[in-house]
Amino acid sequence: MKTRLLLGLIGLALLGYGGYQLLHNSSVTHPPDVAKWLVIALIVHDGLLAWAVLVVGWLTARVIPVRTRPYVQGGLACAALITLIALPLIRRRGHAAPGLTLLTQNYAAHLAVLLSVVVAVVVAAYLVRVVRDRRQGRSTANERSATDHTSPTE
Amino acid sequence: MLPERPPALWPRFDRRLRSTAITARVGRLLGIAFGLCFVTGLLSHYQYHPWTWLPVPATPAWGYRLTQGVHVITGIASIPLLLVKLWSVFPLLFQWPPVRSLLHALERLSIAVLVSSALVEVTTGFLNILQWYPWTFSFVSVHHWLAYVVAGSVLMHVAMKLPLAREGLATPVTPVVGAPPEGISRRGVLVATGAGVGVVALTTVGQVIPSLEPIALLAPRRPTQGPLGVPINKTAGSAGITHIAPSYRLTVLGPHPFDLDLAAVEALPSIERHIPLACVEGWSVSARWGGTSLLDLVRRAGGYGGSTVHVVSLEQGGYGTSTIRGSQLHQALLATHLNGERITLDHGYPVRLIAPDRAGVLNTKWVTRVEIR
Repeated sequence: MKTRLLLGLIGLALLGYGGYQLLHNSSVTHPPDVAKWLVIALIVHDGLLAWAVLVVGWLTARVIPVRTRPYVQGGLACAALITLIALPLIRRRGHAAPGLTLLTQNYAAHLAVLLSVVVAVVVAAYLVRVVRDRRQGRSTANERSATDHTSPTE
Repeated sequence: MLPERPPALWPRFDRRLRSTAITARVGRLLGIAFGLCFVTGLLSHYQYHPWTWLPVPATPAWGYRLTQGVHVITGIASIPLLLVKLWSVFPLLFQWPPVRSLLHALERLSIAVLVSSALVEVTTGFLNILQWYPWTFSFVSVHHWLAYVVAGSVLMHVAMKLPLAREGLATPVTPVVGAPPEGISRRGVLVATGAGVGVVALTTVGQVIPSLEPIALLAPRRPTQGPLGVPINKTAGSAGITHIAPSYRLTVLGPHPFDLDLAAVEALPSIERHIPLACVEGWSVSARWGGTSLLDLVRRAGGYGGSTVHVVSLEQGGYGTSTIRGSQLHQALLATHLNGERITLDHGYPVRLIAPDRAGVLNTKWVTRVEIR
């Protein structure tokens, strides 16, 4: 408990220090603009992004069969995380000042490559599951017939 | 008083998938990532604002390359981590009753500060490496001071949630009781998260690790792309320098001041050093620099190894001057050559400063004056 209290107090001190400096150096930090960004961040995440994820999750539960669902959901989550990082790069490609060799790559094409890799891995993982299930199904069937043979009265 | 049950339209969530087992595991990783970013960020800040009695050391030469590479790549990787962490606790935003006590209200307020400051901190950092500034404030000041707000709220959060986090870490990821979810499992969530974070990190870390540059598909920069195999982050044009006039002089001010014209600069004795160039934006590249020892010029003007030296560029304002002393001064070059070629105007022709373990922008280009203090 003492450790937690100490952690909390150090945290509060750091938080207070940062907040104070943000307000104190207002000529460069522009607190109203920072406040605007802090509020927009909450609205965009809690009001839009999180709900979009919930809607997609709900849709996959309705549309995708149970057996493939975990693979589709995992693939979508992974793809979404990669896409989110790629989008600003795609948006800003070619916007850097000339001569900087910055943002020169074809990020849309690279994103397509990465998403194809994700799809390929997901399909491969699903196929492995199918094959394993089939083998397991066969072996349980064999066991069952063997049991049936030795104890027919059951 | 609030009713005991939430109103009919209050959001409800399937809690089979979200679990403290996931939250604690992702949270632990995110905490480590934020910790690394905070410490390396402060080290980077120190590059720009060192204490007089403790100058940034020249060894290891790859020091800043490592710490700033860690800062930027960990920062990028923490974006997907943060989003998954927030996903795992999203239902708590709609807990009922929304507020139980004054302490609970304060805790929820501190979490709002944590979430929004963390989101803004990683966003501003990421947009900075794209040199995209859709705001009016100074990126450096806000990213720096907001880091204290994030670090402080993380510590307070850990202090408040420590027992819950311990419990979560002790809980197996695969649920022992209750029906498994009809879809992705908790383990599946962790695997998908790991894969997403892994891909993002692997396809950007080529900015720092040369052998991974071929797969740096999402890196804002390819560090070997650029004139003479080194990127440019400030062109001569953007610094207001179109050409070097014949009247150019390299002036060294000290007890015995002197100045050199272009021909004399070319005739200076030259040595070669391998010094990586590491940018605050996270990219870095090894390079072979040729030029004259800055300390030799300082000594010739009456200075010594313990001098504090200001290096002044033809560039006006911004990063047009830098200060060098200590072991960096002992190893610094006024470089005329890069990877065997005469440096171009964009690289800082006629001479630029280069020293080991020194943030890229402090290696002043277009040097015209050296002042010994």
